[in-house]
Amino acid sequence: MSNFIVRSVTGVLARIGRTADAAFRHTGKMTLLALGVARATFTGKVSMRDVLDQLQSGGVASIPLVSVTAALSGIVTSQQGGYQFTSSIPLYVLGSVVTSGVILELGPVMTAIVVIGRVGARITAELGTMKVSEQIDALHSLGRDPVAVLAAPRVIAGLISMPMLVGLANFIGVLAGIVAARFAVGLGPESFLFGARMFWHSWDLLYSIAKGVVFGLVIPLISVHMGFETRGGAEGVGRATTSAVVMMIITMLVLDAVFPPLFLN
Amino acid sequence: MIEYIDVHKAFDVPVLSGVDLTIQTRETLSIVGPSGTGKSVLLKTTNGLLEPDRGDVRIDGVSVYHADRDQTTEMRRKVGYVFQYAALFDSMNVFENVCTGLPRDEEKRARSPEVVRKVCEALEDVNLDPAIVMKKLPSELSGGMRKRVGLARAIVGRPEILLYDEPVTGLDPINSAAISRLILEIRERTLVTSIVVTHDIEQALEISDRVALLTHGKLRFVGTPAEFRASNDPVVRAFADRQAAAQAAIQLVERDDRDEENEEGT
Repeated sequence: MSNFIVRSVTGVLARIGRTADAAFRHTGKMTLLALGVARATFTGKVSMRDVLDQLQSGGVASIPLVSVTAALSGIVTSQQGGYQFTSSIPLYVLGSVVTSGVILELGPVMTAIVVIGRVGARITAELGTMKVSEQIDALHSLGRDPVAVLAAPRVIAGLISMPMLVGLANFIGVLAGIVAARFAVGLGPESFLFGARMFWHSWDLLYSIAKGVVFGLVIPLISVHMGFETRGGAEGVGRATTSAVVMMIITMLVLDAVFPPLFLN
Repeated sequence: MIEYIDVHKAFDVPVLSGVDLTIQTRETLSIVGPSGTGKSVLLKTTNGLLEPDRGDVRIDGVSVYHADRDQTTEMRRKVGYVFQYAALFDSMNVFENVCTGLPRDEEKRARSPEVVRKVCEALEDVNLDPAIVMKKLPSELSGGMRKRVGLARAIVGRPEILLYDEPVTGLDPINSAAISRLILEIRERTLVTSIVVTHDIEQALEISDRVALLTHGKLRFVGTPAEFRASNDPVVRAFADRQAAAQAAIQLVERDDRDEENEEGT
């Protein structure tokens, strides 16, 4: 019995150790990748055309899905808030709840989830396929730096596009909330905006965009790193993509949880 | 001149266990050996694709792993690499793929007559018609054509050293012979130093000045094709002659059977 307990405890500790080891290795490699991207950027080795291509495929092409997700988030928040506030709290407070909810949380987080699924997964699969088919080795052998050619344009595009997408999601989410409040609980736009202004802090908008910047850095960094780390053919690409999506979602949610104590107190 | 000095490399298990080898300028050396003995790993240490755990690789006296940035750039310009499965960039057409083999400043002027001429020459050197293949994507090419485009990309920058990783693997005998002939033609025309990793012993003996046999992470034999053929080493014999290889395989199976019977008897 005691042997069984010792084995179980040892097994759990070994697992924790392996997970911690993997986490530190990934963090270290991603830090080096981020430094490589910064070096490539500030030494002018990044092609502007590649950045524009990535802005188009990762940013502009994400606008429809981000818009739909943001609109639905605003509508749901407005409807549920209206349901809870009716006959208990003055309804104009709904304006503040929806605006704050969308700008502080739903806009950045829902946009990040869309970008992780649409762009992050694609980047890992794309670079993973290049890795297993030796295209990244080919870049090395041709004297091209894969960090400058592949990683930097994606990270720069993420840093530029993500805050803009968050701003767009905030605008559409609040607009959809106003429309939903009108039809769900009969709260007019003037009352909604009156409530929104009553508890408005300009800092909230900056906070929201700052989340966009951080997510815009972290999502492409993780997806590029996982692409570069891919091993083992088509199955390896699938495995790396799944791991990357899990890693991006967890990292994004952890960072999201770290933001309020750091910036809202 | 390329020097491998006590090169060690391990992944989960040791792959290279102290390889010492010198390849003279303009020499063609083939590395042969059983699968999984580190032939491609050794080749990849030559231009920094894989860093040895111990030891060093030097090109013209300059360490591949301790060179400064300018020396590394210069060294990479000297070395062309032909990948086993060509490793062409999927999203680029043949012209753009071959262009990447040129120095960066020339690649940026991809539409200039000078660059177009160089790309066309490289494609013609590997017996491809530029007018037919230039606009094609890698997915539209056959295996043999992809290998030729990979070769054109490696030679377009006129390297002094060419590294071939399994250049005929997966090709039919006609395409294999054509690639072997191309390797010889390129060597004669450009006086390039070549290292060829191959499973095809006939190809190795046909195109090489010297042949190296790598087994268990160490060089078992280095010598001319004539010395290779005349060697009495049973492992070299097994590689030099298909009949001897078959005989060695049969003896191995018989010995395993005898061992099993003895174990059951005891």
